[in-house]
Amino acid sequence: MSNWKAGVLLFGPLALLLIGVFLVPVLLLAPTSFHEYAPGVGIVANSWTLENYARIVTDDYYREVVWRTLYLGLGVTVSCLLLGYPVAYLIVRGPARLRLPLTLLVIFPLMLNLVVRSFGWIALLSNRGLVNNFLIQTGLIGAPLKLMFNLTGLMIGMTHIYLPFMVLMLVAALQNVPRDVEAAAATLGSSRSHVFTSVTLPLTAPGIISGSILVFVLTISALVTPRMLGGPTYKVMATLIYDEYMQLLDWPSGSALSFSLTVIAIAIIWASSRITKRWAGMA
Amino acid sequence: MNESKPGLTITSIALLVILFLQLPVIVVVLAAFSSTSYLTIPPQGLTLKWFAKVLSDPVYLDAIRISLTLAVGSTVVSLVLGVAAAYALFKRMLPGTEALTSFLMAPLILPSVVIGVALLQYYSLIGWRGSFAALLLAHVIITVPYIVRSALASLAGVDMSVEEAARVLGANGFTAFRLVTLPLIKPGLVAGALFAFVTSMENVPVTIFVASAKQTTLPILIFSSVEMGVDPSIAAVSTLLIVATVFVLWLAERWTGFHRFI
Repeated sequence: MSNWKAGVLLFGPLALLLIGVFLVPVLLLAPTSFHEYAPGVGIVANSWTLENYARIVTDDYYREVVWRTLYLGLGVTVSCLLLGYPVAYLIVRGPARLRLPLTLLVIFPLMLNLVVRSFGWIALLSNRGLVNNFLIQTGLIGAPLKLMFNLTGLMIGMTHIYLPFMVLMLVAALQNVPRDVEAAAATLGSSRSHVFTSVTLPLTAPGIISGSILVFVLTISALVTPRMLGGPTYKVMATLIYDEYMQLLDWPSGSALSFSLTVIAIAIIWASSRITKRWAGMA
Repeated sequence: MNESKPGLTITSIALLVILFLQLPVIVVVLAAFSSTSYLTIPPQGLTLKWFAKVLSDPVYLDAIRISLTLAVGSTVVSLVLGVAAAYALFKRMLPGTEALTSFLMAPLILPSVVIGVALLQYYSLIGWRGSFAALLLAHVIITVPYIVRSALASLAGVDMSVEEAARVLGANGFTAFRLVTLPLIKPGLVAGALFAFVTSMENVPVTIFVASAKQTTLPILIFSSVEMGVDPSIAAVSTLLIVATVFVLWLAERWTGFHRFI
């Protein structure tokens, strides 16, 4: 039996499955997104329109949801970076015996069910949640703070969900920084903070970029946490897609939003790989 | 040379952040044992009644059964298809190995919610909605990239001359793979299978569009019951999931020392 035939036999089944249950279904979303939708009737046959895409950039409500999604992605990325860097630094540069336990504590939440983690944040952040109860009991506030169904809740919850990814990326980046270079800078009279900003930080930039891209893309694509912490009213793109398909049954509009979300995600991944390649070429 | 050791400030911030990471887990476990239906610090009293409620509720038991069947089934199918495909890619049996590898990884790049709505429309079109096999295939699509990735990484560390030696000594291709290569890549595959299992167990964005009302998985049940408010039985079933996760991680670590693969 030739190598080629064996290859087809081994690779073929999975390839067929991916074509049949992934590629074709995703491609079939495209025609739907150019159809008209009539409430109560459904998809209007033989109607071709760009309305579903135009609405995303012109309609105030859609624009607000898109901007909120991107803004949330940026906010979560920045806070993951700020919170994750000290953790990664402690893991890589701290005492060796703490390495494994700290790494496991970072990975542990990642292995837990996403709905369980989001439920934990509901128990903490709701009006009668732990945080509000604690603050009221200690007399710090009179009435419960609004920590859910708004940007605050989504930022806290999603920073928690995606922080482990950022830490793992930064750990990998910090491990690649040669200690000699930092030591050399220090010997030549650089202060500690100057060593960090002029040596360590630039050398970990590729890790910072890939971690940020990962967190940003995951955040703008997320459905579960935004829905659980944002409720049915405070919407992002993914939850709006969910509602258009499941409640409004407006599939054309939902599929146009799905394509827009996919294009944003892929464009960001593509652009970042271009940037990292150019940097690697310079080094 | 202490210049790049983390100082007291960095260490305290880092430890606080790690505490923040464990916070929701601690809260869920506390809520599951608390006798009041809302949470207070310190807890007002301990009870096991929420666990008893969950474990005698057919709705929860059904959801647990469906989730486990789906996770085990999709992991097994992904393992068989994924390892075969990864082997063909590794041995460069087909032209365009790089492109084919990216194709297998594509379900990881697309937002899950998009795969979900695409399958909803497609399954409705071809009349597969409500079929358990269709739901299982959807889970194979989202779990198989993890298997392929770990199989490729493990195969890269295997000395292929051992398999060739087995073939020279008369073993056919499959026997040589099963007796020589497979045991060598087993630890990596266990790690990949674990990721696949966990991914299937926790999936909401694809499942919620594809599953019928009779196929409510555990995460879907928790996801939709949260809209009715915080119920301690959700905390109890979540605690069971946390315990199961810790147990599976411990088991995998005992078998293979899989932390090396994360």
